[in-house]
Amino acid sequence: MSAAAGRKKAAGAFDPIELEILWKRLVSIVDEAAATFVRTSFSTLVRDANDFAVVLTDAQGRSLAQSTMSIPSFIGSLPATVRHFLDRFPAHTLKPGDVMITNDPWMGTGHIHDVNTAMPLFHEGRLVAFAAVVSHMPDIGGRLRNSGIREIYEEGLQIPRLKLMHAGSADPAVVAFISQNIRVPEQGMGDIWAQVSACRMLEERLQPLLTGRLLDDLGHEIRRRSEAAMRAAIRRLPDGEYTSRVEHDGFEQRIVIACRITVKGDRLAIDYAGSSPQLPRAVNVVPIYTFAYSAYPVKALLCPDVPNNEGSFAPVSTRAPAGSILNPEYPAASGGRGMIGHLLPPAIFTALADVLPDRVWASGSANSSVTMSGEHRGHRFAVINFLNAGQGATASRDGYSVLSFPSNLGNTPIEVIESLAPMQVVCRSIRRGTGGAGRHRGGDGLRFEFVVIADVPVVTSFIMTRLKSAPPGLAGGGPGALGRLELNGCVIDPSDHWVLKKGDHVVMETAGGGGYGAPVRRRTGQR
Amino acid sequence: MTLNASTTRHPAGRSLRIAVDIGGTFTDGLAVLLPGGRIWVGKCLTTPDDPGEAVSTVIADLLRQVAQAGGSAPRVGEVVHGTTLVTNTLIERKGARTALLTTTGIGDALDIGRELRYDLYDLDLQLPEPLVPRDRRIEVAGRMDALGTEVAPMADAAVARAVRALAALDVEAVAVCLLHGYLNDAHERRLKAGLQTRLPGLAVSISSAVAREIGEYERMSTTVANAYVQPLVARYLDQLQGRIGALAPAASLKIMVSSGGFTSGAAAAETPITLLESGPAAGVLSALNTARANGLDAILAFDMGGTTAKACVAVGGEPLVAHSFECARVHRFKRGSGLPILIPSIDLIEIGAGGGSIAHVNAMGLLNVGPESAGAVPGPACYQRGGREATVTDADLLLGYLNPDNFLGGEMKLSLAEATAALGRLARSLRLTVDQVARGIVGIVNENMASAARIHIAEKGHDPRAFTLVATGGAGPLHALEVARLLRIPRVLATIAAGAGSCLGLLAAPARVDRAWSNPALLAETDWSAAARVMQQLRDDAQAELDSAGVPAGSIVWSIGAQMRYLGQGHSVPVSIPYRRLDASAAAAVQRAFEACYRKLYGALVPGALPQVITWRLTGRATMKRHRFRWGDARAGGADAARGRRRVFLPVRGRFAEVPVFERYALAPGTMLAGPLVLEERESTLVVPMAAEVAVLPDYTISVTIREFE
Repeated sequence: MSAAAGRKKAAGAFDPIELEILWKRLVSIVDEAAATFVRTSFSTLVRDANDFAVVLTDAQGRSLAQSTMSIPSFIGSLPATVRHFLDRFPAHTLKPGDVMITNDPWMGTGHIHDVNTAMPLFHEGRLVAFAAVVSHMPDIGGRLRNSGIREIYEEGLQIPRLKLMHAGSADPAVVAFISQNIRVPEQGMGDIWAQVSACRMLEERLQPLLTGRLLDDLGHEIRRRSEAAMRAAIRRLPDGEYTSRVEHDGFEQRIVIACRITVKGDRLAIDYAGSSPQLPRAVNVVPIYTFAYSAYPVKALLCPDVPNNEGSFAPVSTRAPAGSILNPEYPAASGGRGMIGHLLPPAIFTALADVLPDRVWASGSANSSVTMSGEHRGHRFAVINFLNAGQGATASRDGYSVLSFPSNLGNTPIEVIESLAPMQVVCRSIRRGTGGAGRHRGGDGLRFEFVVIADVPVVTSFIMTRLKSAPPGLAGGGPGALGRLELNGCVIDPSDHWVLKKGDHVVMETAGGGGYGAPVRRRTGQR
Repeated sequence: MTLNASTTRHPAGRSLRIAVDIGGTFTDGLAVLLPGGRIWVGKCLTTPDDPGEAVSTVIADLLRQVAQAGGSAPRVGEVVHGTTLVTNTLIERKGARTALLTTTGIGDALDIGRELRYDLYDLDLQLPEPLVPRDRRIEVAGRMDALGTEVAPMADAAVARAVRALAALDVEAVAVCLLHGYLNDAHERRLKAGLQTRLPGLAVSISSAVAREIGEYERMSTTVANAYVQPLVARYLDQLQGRIGALAPAASLKIMVSSGGFTSGAAAAETPITLLESGPAAGVLSALNTARANGLDAILAFDMGGTTAKACVAVGGEPLVAHSFECARVHRFKRGSGLPILIPSIDLIEIGAGGGSIAHVNAMGLLNVGPESAGAVPGPACYQRGGREATVTDADLLLGYLNPDNFLGGEMKLSLAEATAALGRLARSLRLTVDQVARGIVGIVNENMASAARIHIAEKGHDPRAFTLVATGGAGPLHALEVARLLRIPRVLATIAAGAGSCLGLLAAPARVDRAWSNPALLAETDWSAAARVMQQLRDDAQAELDSAGVPAGSIVWSIGAQMRYLGQGHSVPVSIPYRRLDASAAAAVQRAFEACYRKLYGALVPGALPQVITWRLTGRATMKRHRFRWGDARAGGADAARGRRRVFLPVRGRFAEVPVFERYALAPGTMLAGPLVLEERESTLVVPMAAEVAVLPDYTISVTIREFE
């Protein structure tokens, strides 16, 4: 096929069949490398929650193919990272076997827990592509993740743009620095070497496709068609300015996200001017993550089938004022970026509610979590359980109850939690009736209740959302019920660190989603 | 259809084994005479309202054929049966009205599931509906902890209350799934006893008997599904036993299960959910049997039918067995859109690529194929049954891969005009020629299958270049060579009787039982006396099942499995050791096996990490014999095998060429041919669209060694 394709290239553009076949093959090769990476990763977030991405870019760092299962955080991030690498290590200085590495949030994915590597791929001495991998590390040193962190220095090891390998040999200084600064170096370095293996596998499998200008031509054509599809989808929206304002519980004060979407012809621009300033908390969202969680709902609403490449998102732009929570300045902490970033899809849904009434959801709530660590039956344990919430209703159906959105993080089975941690779960049940009222009701939240059963103290941290500002309804629909956190019958603040003791009884409740449309009228006299 | 024209009498002391497989359209049967391995095949339309009727028809037909060939039919030793009854009941939601008894506090578990979305970009995704609605779920007080210790008793009054509540629900079946029931089944058994005493006739499934594995949602889903199908399957098997008894009084009934073995009718009626994936399992066993007969160690079993293609890796003569599965998916090819089922099943992938897969133009103006399928009705356009959309079969016809006058032995004419018209509509919208579209559809569907297989092989830690592809299924041999070429697999085998391939698999299936027991503990801290006690119980229980299937005790090989990981990891790996008494000295053997497995999958061990066993498993399996099947003497000599020449498309050369066509079963063993060529048989066509060495093996299997990859 490569020879045939090479010949074809000389004759001009690809037809819709050759393009489909070659492109499928590229994606399949990237997915094969991704499958190998997942198998060899130590991180449970990689294995269970697809918290990683493998991307093939062209020589200029433009996406050619991305692994299929990646979560939305990685939309557009790795190609941008490759371009940052190119700024630091210009193309003419790169050699076969070089591997570049960084976890800089502004150049990577928005927090230092994700480490990015990229390897230049050569054909007959010419740089033709980059293989790149990003994944969530088992650990990155520093303080355990907590929104009380004030600066990036507390969050752990920062890896600036460095060469991990020079022409095939590892840099011992880089390896030693990383190993010294993370808690489980065998696992952390193990994951980094697994990234390198995935890059090498891509290089080997791609050899037949690296000839001539095949990749360049292919990339050009994929981007052209992706861009055309997205522009056509945007053109179907009426021109105009659409705004929304969503709130997060915040800390001392609420956090505000102001969103203004301008649709003009086949372009869509999102401006977050008016959003809260950056905070000395680990909830700041760097521009790359702001973009990813803006691009995600735009794609899902308008054109879910386009690939995540520069073409698809060429007509979409995001901006936020420097120093705001969506464009913070160094050394802002960002470990809990998701708390704010997950508000962007509801902000965009709400803004576009009038022009896409049949597509958008009313607001719901992002996930919460409880993390416990300590000693149990003679062993250290660390257990994290995610709790999802009610999602907003739409014009045509009720909202989903207890479903993960916009991320995709599942719960841990009760039987597994109890086998790892000294706790007994009293219930995990749906909070019936907590979804907002409406022609279509919001989805219901979750109630998760447990008792600590060990004599030794259990260090516990909660991440909870929608405890003060309820998910609002749309088009006259009512808000969902607030979430709440109780310890022994008293409401407590989740942003504190808690040490639980035997007999402590914890109730975590997640919010209901907003309703859609005014509730159906009942007979007079009836409520 | 008689495939044996011998008129000699069957010698005394011979017996017959019969396999019957109920498929969506046809019920296939195959009889093998032992010793010797001569086979006869039978086929009739499936009878959906009373599936057993077609089974009777096929068995009677086979007995008639065998009798004709040998004067009288020998004794039928056993009938091995595969059925899609369980799958269809779940997909069509036609099971029993079922209730659930569960622990206080988790009555919503079936609605909550794992809280995940199976498609990130579908804003209106449809979630699978639980089999038991909330108002038929009853919570019962009483609690075990994670060590299996009772922390709250289950009072008599609580049992009585549950029974009363259940009686009011008017259900036919009930599932019982309690927290940590996999460790301590005392409460589940108490409830079962209470129900059986006071509500006799109610079908009761308890989680500790159906799937003794940790993870309450998945175990509950499995137990509920078992209860849901049990009354129907039990009635069906009971009637079937009667029908077979009338035709072949001495025959025992064996039922194929998803793990690639068979069990007794009684065990199948007790845990019918294990039948779920028996159809695909039989296809893999058929491929595996062919591979064994030819001394192959690493194969990719490849099966392609009307709607789906399936691929399965088997190394060392055994297919991989997975312990979780999904059924009744909302979107057939989307992982996570179905109901989780914890049963051992042959680990294979299903791809939305079949003869009926429909070609269409996507949002980006590119040609896509599948996963939507035209199925058998209306079917591909060339069937002339009302299908108007272009399918893979239509493209196969236009590329010369199918003979319009010899489809199903000529019983069904394929229309070139209709195929051309259907592809013409697509060609116009793509501004391409019909020819280009036909090549495109076949090229894309082959690429889709190769891609899925490539990733499946990578997930298992193998390199496809070391494999042989073994093709089964109606459309398998049509596309196998191109799929192999794309995967750089050098050799392809085409089994005999592709159309009745599942039946060969049923006959090749060994007896097999599986038991599981979750009890997460560090290997170093295992309570060996408890482990030994439970393992002995599992073995006694498994032995009883084998006895009920009439399997001689001496023919069984036992092995102990452990689902293991390092403490703190999210995923576990399956480890297996030969059966032995579980005591402290077993720890070393288990650890060695774990480390060997871990090293193979991941390259290196984790220094300082602690191995942990999540679930112990017990497998008893009859040694898988090498079954040789042969058609008998109806087919001899290659003199009249040639069927002229046909114009077919050769993708590797990018052009059409005239290639020779042969009648497959007229080719004698030992025949050597050179591709490109086409071999036709009644239910299938083997297309070799490249330079290759083609050999007819002694068992009529065709071996193709590809000589032209680029």
